[in-house]
Amino acid sequence: MLWRCCLVLIGALCTPVLSKHLSNEEFREQVSLQTLQDGRVASTFSFNILLKDATPREPRTLIFDDESQHYNLFPLALGQILREYAVTELHLTLNAGKWNYDSWGYPKERDVGTGAALWAWMADGGPTSIDYRWQGLRNALAGLFCASIGSLDEQRTTSPVLPFAPEGSLPDWGVEHELRHASLASEHVCTENLTPFLKLLPCKSLSGIASLLNPHRLFDADWHGMGLHVLWNPDAGVEVRLAFQLVSDPLRISAGKKQDWSFSTLFDRTIERTCPVAQSSIVDVALPREALYNISPEPPRIDQNVAFYDLTNMSEALDVKLKWALDFTYPLDPLKITSMPISVRRTLQGASQDRGQLSLVIKNNAPFPLQVLYLETMPWIVQFYLHTMRVSSDTSGDDFISNISYVPSVPHSRPATFQAVLTLPTESTVYLTIDVTKAFLRYTEHPPDAQRGWDLPPAIILPLSSSNAIRSEFVGRIYTPPLLVDLATPDFSMPYNVIVFSCSLIAFIFGNIFNLLTRKFVVVRLGSQQGTSKSKHD
Amino acid sequence: MSSDSPFWLRKLTAINSRLFPRGDANLTRLKRRQALFAAIGRRLPLLRTLLFVAGYLWILAIPTLPGQGTYIDENALLPGQVNTNWNWAEVHAADRYLDHIEKLRDDNATSEQRAKYFAEEFKKLGIPASTQNYTFSTVFGDSSGTNAYATMSAPRSPGVEAMVISASWLSRTGEGAGSLNLRGVSTVLALAGFLRRYSFWAKDLVFVISDDYLEGMQAWLSAYHGISQSNLHTNDLDLSSGVIWTALSIDYPGHSFSHLGMFHEGLNGRLPNQDLLNSFIHISKYSGGVPVILYDYVDHQEYPDQYDLLPSWIPASVRQHPDVKGYLYRFKNVLRHGRYQARGIGSGVHALFHQFRIDAFTIFALPATGPHGFHAIGRIIESTLRTTNNLLERLHASFFFYILTDPDNFLKIGLYLPSAILISVAMMLTGLSLWVEAGWTTSGDKKSTDKKWTRRKRPILHVLAIMISTHLLGVTMFYLVNNKLFFRSRICPVAVMLITAVPPIYAIFIPAASPSDAPLSVVLKALNLCFASTVISITTVLNFSLAASMAILLGIPLSVSPTSSRRARPKTVYYIAYALFGLGWLVLCPEGVRKAVLDWETLGVWFGPFLCIVIAPLVLQAGVVCILV
Amino acid sequence: MKTPSTVPLGLVFSALVASRLLISCTSIHEYLIHDHQLSSPLTSFLNLKEGIYLFNNGVDPYSGGVFRHSPLYLSLFTTILSPSRIIASLLWTLCDSIGAWSMVRIWRARNNIVQSSRDVLVAALYFLNPYLFLPSLAFSTSSIENAVSLLAIMFACERRTSASLLALAFLVQLSLSSVVLIVPIILLLITSPISQLVSPRPFSGKWTQSLGHVFELAIYVLVLTLASTLVSGDFLWISQTWGASLTLPDLTPNPGLWWYFFTEMFDHFRPFFLMVFSVHLLIYIAPICIKFQYDSLYATFLLVGVLGIFKAYLTLSDPGLFLSMISLFPEIYPYFRHPIVTSLLHLHATMLLPLFHRLWLTQGTGNANFFYASTLVFACANGAALVDCVWAGLRIAIGEQVDGYAVTQE
Repeated sequence: MLWRCCLVLIGALCTPVLSKHLSNEEFREQVSLQTLQDGRVASTFSFNILLKDATPREPRTLIFDDESQHYNLFPLALGQILREYAVTELHLTLNAGKWNYDSWGYPKERDVGTGAALWAWMADGGPTSIDYRWQGLRNALAGLFCASIGSLDEQRTTSPVLPFAPEGSLPDWGVEHELRHASLASEHVCTENLTPFLKLLPCKSLSGIASLLNPHRLFDADWHGMGLHVLWNPDAGVEVRLAFQLVSDPLRISAGKKQDWSFSTLFDRTIERTCPVAQSSIVDVALPREALYNISPEPPRIDQNVAFYDLTNMSEALDVKLKWALDFTYPLDPLKITSMPISVRRTLQGASQDRGQLSLVIKNNAPFPLQVLYLETMPWIVQFYLHTMRVSSDTSGDDFISNISYVPSVPHSRPATFQAVLTLPTESTVYLTIDVTKAFLRYTEHPPDAQRGWDLPPAIILPLSSSNAIRSEFVGRIYTPPLLVDLATPDFSMPYNVIVFSCSLIAFIFGNIFNLLTRKFVVVRLGSQQGTSKSKHD
Repeated sequence: MSSDSPFWLRKLTAINSRLFPRGDANLTRLKRRQALFAAIGRRLPLLRTLLFVAGYLWILAIPTLPGQGTYIDENALLPGQVNTNWNWAEVHAADRYLDHIEKLRDDNATSEQRAKYFAEEFKKLGIPASTQNYTFSTVFGDSSGTNAYATMSAPRSPGVEAMVISASWLSRTGEGAGSLNLRGVSTVLALAGFLRRYSFWAKDLVFVISDDYLEGMQAWLSAYHGISQSNLHTNDLDLSSGVIWTALSIDYPGHSFSHLGMFHEGLNGRLPNQDLLNSFIHISKYSGGVPVILYDYVDHQEYPDQYDLLPSWIPASVRQHPDVKGYLYRFKNVLRHGRYQARGIGSGVHALFHQFRIDAFTIFALPATGPHGFHAIGRIIESTLRTTNNLLERLHASFFFYILTDPDNFLKIGLYLPSAILISVAMMLTGLSLWVEAGWTTSGDKKSTDKKWTRRKRPILHVLAIMISTHLLGVTMFYLVNNKLFFRSRICPVAVMLITAVPPIYAIFIPAASPSDAPLSVVLKALNLCFASTVISITTVLNFSLAASMAILLGIPLSVSPTSSRRARPKTVYYIAYALFGLGWLVLCPEGVRKAVLDWETLGVWFGPFLCIVIAPLVLQAGVVCILV
Repeated sequence: MKTPSTVPLGLVFSALVASRLLISCTSIHEYLIHDHQLSSPLTSFLNLKEGIYLFNNGVDPYSGGVFRHSPLYLSLFTTILSPSRIIASLLWTLCDSIGAWSMVRIWRARNNIVQSSRDVLVAALYFLNPYLFLPSLAFSTSSIENAVSLLAIMFACERRTSASLLALAFLVQLSLSSVVLIVPIILLLITSPISQLVSPRPFSGKWTQSLGHVFELAIYVLVLTLASTLVSGDFLWISQTWGASLTLPDLTPNPGLWWYFFTEMFDHFRPFFLMVFSVHLLIYIAPICIKFQYDSLYATFLLVGVLGIFKAYLTLSDPGLFLSMISLFPEIYPYFRHPIVTSLLHLHATMLLPLFHRLWLTQGTGNANFFYASTLVFACANGAALVDCVWAGLRIAIGEQVDGYAVTQE
């Protein structure tokens, strides 16, 4: 009885404080679930924290001590990193698996490149160079998310401005803003990255929508990824968006023929209580278009075939169930996905360890011609032979490729950046091939699992909205799956033997020649009698 | 002085004077060198024969050599560490597929219809699938077919690595003679439905049901790796996956089986990494409970009566002795291995994977009246796939060069390589001694102790011309054989045989060497032997069986070709004998020629060209030696 | 085999050129052009084409890691020629003919005759030497370098000083390691090419002349360097072309001794051993030039042999040049110590190199050590050939062997 009174008292004392501080920060959370055409379910969690009328730190103020920041909802650890390195805009994605655009369509969160990807816009003019701050940012984030982002060194850093234009706006400090982008396809995303991710949320995973994030189910899904996006809007302020996205397969989980799902089958959790500090917390479910189904509990609001549940005034635990009347059968011929204009296939062909051929096949499903931007960032271990580039199509016509920009790679330091605009005629396929050679590395440069090979980062296809017919949901980066290139390996146990063999051979030849050149020729008389005479004398 | 000095002192001084002789250092050095060479020269014939005998004996002894037990080197594999889930429900599914497929066979469906059916079945399971049409155009006409394949992308994996589970429409029984691999195909389909239900796959699973015996898979692999083959017309695959590390092909012709046979020889004599085979053997024996055999030879301890191969005049005590039977059993295994490897043809569909650095082997369900069926093979394959799924790197830890004498024992390269090397060394020594002999001639009386040695010129250019021309002849012969017209009539092989008449005619036109020079025949034989021995000793590493058979076949004949005109009467008979030995196969085994040409055209097996361009000319040169004396 | 005495040189020569052209017009180069034995990163035709492509499209080819050819090639192929297949096969055939022709001219100059029966053989041995034939079928620029070096030697033999020095300057531009040849060629310019091996005598030339030659050469080199800088726009090309043969940035395998050594080298020893390997090449110049001061052409020949063993980014055509040049010195043949052993070593090496290369990179059953071992065998073969030539060149001075007597070194 007594402790309850104390609790009430403390609560009463705290509320005004909270409300006062909450006024300039707000937290909104939302999860949207959607049934995909191959029976899988895509769930997208997004948590937005807005720091009202705040501005990113200007690099020129890095020489002074930073003015003290006080956050209630805004994650402090992140805020400190942002201000320490004067980052204007920051994007970090950690994804596992390859997003199957052809049958899943565009994801809600567009950046689904396999592995870790980090890009940031930073202003110049600080006491330290942008690259120095970029390095610090990498290491800080690596510590924060327990991911090997720290290894995104200059061997992987590029600056492709076109496909990675700023999503917010860049403050006009009269100094140049620059982009740094790096990706690491071989990063394995798992629960050690989720825990720090949840720590950044105001309610952790205790209440609200975040309570659905149950590692045991998330990391059993067919695809999962998390993202952190920081951007600035002049009229709103600094906005942080934390997103988690997964694709789970009810048919595999239930090992049955029905594609029914519910929170408890997908996440093995239900939403028990709401997050008190959330301005809004919404669950929305995209309802099937042509099928007999039953959704429970009855959604309070249905808008354009999407059911909305508002959790702020939630009475009992929420466990949304969606049931189908009929068994699920896989479509024999994959349906056209209206939201997916193109389908891409990228392979590294050839079986030899010294060279190969990069081949890109882009199919335009749309009933109108398209223009796409094609970006390859290739580590130096794979070198392009650009003069062997061939672009062809199954339809007539030519100049499918234009505005090529190419930064050649430098061994042991810089990756190559290849950008070009591809023109895809209506409902046609365009083929692009480039011959490549594979580098031979020093034995110290190979990773511990040298025989596995190296993961090459995904290529990026960006439909250009310039073509008039293109619709809004067409724009957004399309990531190809990464590639694995196996390089020839030396024998790692041999250094001493090689030094010994080579050196002794060289010494042998050298010694022989110098013997011949320096020693004097003599004529010796053979024959027995001389020999005997010699022997007689002694 | 020497008399009163004690015995040991005299000995010591003797040794000392021998080790450090006083007097002219150069002279003693020269004398020592001469003595050494003289000693070697004297013992050379003996040494040669010893080497020959040792080499041949060694080759014979390969099956009995003390090999060592197979073991698993790659720690990541962990074979048989999981409990398998394949069960009777899946067996039932496999049976249902089998019914459909048998129906397809009965109303003999075209390969398009079959492939379409397979692809649809895969799609019904929710696995993206597609088909591939191909046509090989060879000198024997076109042959076309359709493959079906499906790629199941593993959850949460970027899809950069893949494993292949394949079955060809024709079984390998009788090297693709025509019996169908129905149960193998239905096993693949059932596996697809079953494996899809689990989320622990780290690599994509690619299911391929290839048409025909080898051609279908060759077409699929070429398309998958983007290798363009001039005589192969196919559409490129519209589904892709990652780098393939391991593949296994299932061959299940009978309605049930007693043993699982293992076939592992790849194209052009490549072998898969031993870890793959060992883990399969381990799984099949200990978690699958099915005995594993090499090829289709059952064990001599289980079935002793199958190894009663010796002629009956040998006393039964010897014939029935278990060690003898054990030798025969291993001998058969090694011989089978050698037959596959030497000809460069693989022993099954898996062989085609090897040309793309994919370690693969064929599981052959030995037809019998029991006791095993879908249940056993399913469990074993599931467990094997789980094992290869554990791989973090391409298989590299274990051996690539080995001979399996039986499923549990193998020979390292060091144990069997010397056999062929010894023979080639013997040939090399023969050649070198002939070379020296050609360079020097003795004049003056034979009896006197110090014969008068005089140098003489060796007509190298002529000899090289002869050798090169014979090899060019081999090239032309290969192109003739590799031609439509060649197989039209029985005359053509004989006509091509007549090519062998060219070298002697050519040899006649060579201006006679001046008597002061060395005779052509000796120099030619010397260089011929040196070249042959080089070829053999280098081939040992690439394809031991081929090298060993070359050593066996060429070793003696090339070395004994007569160089003194007295023994070589009549020359032509000798020459014809050599010509028949070198090219007789053209006429005698047309089927073999046919197959060699076909393998070269479709699969790129270089046994045919090698035989025509390297081996046959070597024999012809030996023949020319007889002509020239 | 044609007997040299009967066949006129012109006929055979044109026949050889024709057949050479015919072969290079087939599609055989597609199989050879990627081969690591025939063309190194510094001489590969593909890299050359890539560099030209980048240059034509406004990207500085030297800013990347692929293109390591001299800017002279750039200017040649962007202004005068285009790197098409036909042009290439014509150009490379031309280079081979120039090489063969200058071999004949050198032979004639050495024996001081207008024409001899051996000419045909000399030309044929240059054309038909597989070590030279295959690289030039693969359009490796090393055959161009061979032609230029032979030109330099030929002009030197014919006392056409400026031409020879100019060719030498070009050679240095194209491949830095041929600085080894500067000294003997300058010595050759101030002495005579006529064979003096049988009768050694102290140096006869006048040293004062050589200074002028050195000065002239320096001017040519300077001019060419400036020209290259103008072509490429900045000095980046120096580190990319000359620097590459000193710092070995690209570890693509080749038949030489460097690549695997520096693949397996510990990082902190790398600079030291790079220095050792580079200096080691220069060690041979002085002793060989001093010992053979009476026959500078032979000294040149031996140093070509040294390059053919120890140079960085070796291709088959470097030892090939040495082996073909042996045909210029028939007088030493009787004095070889063990020619059969040397040639058998070469036979083994030539068969091992491609097979083990395939075993490692394509078939994947053998590892890098297999190919490394075959490069060691190849180095042994070349070393044996060089040692034989040194021995024979010295031994010939003592004259025919009389029985009862033996010649040896103490």
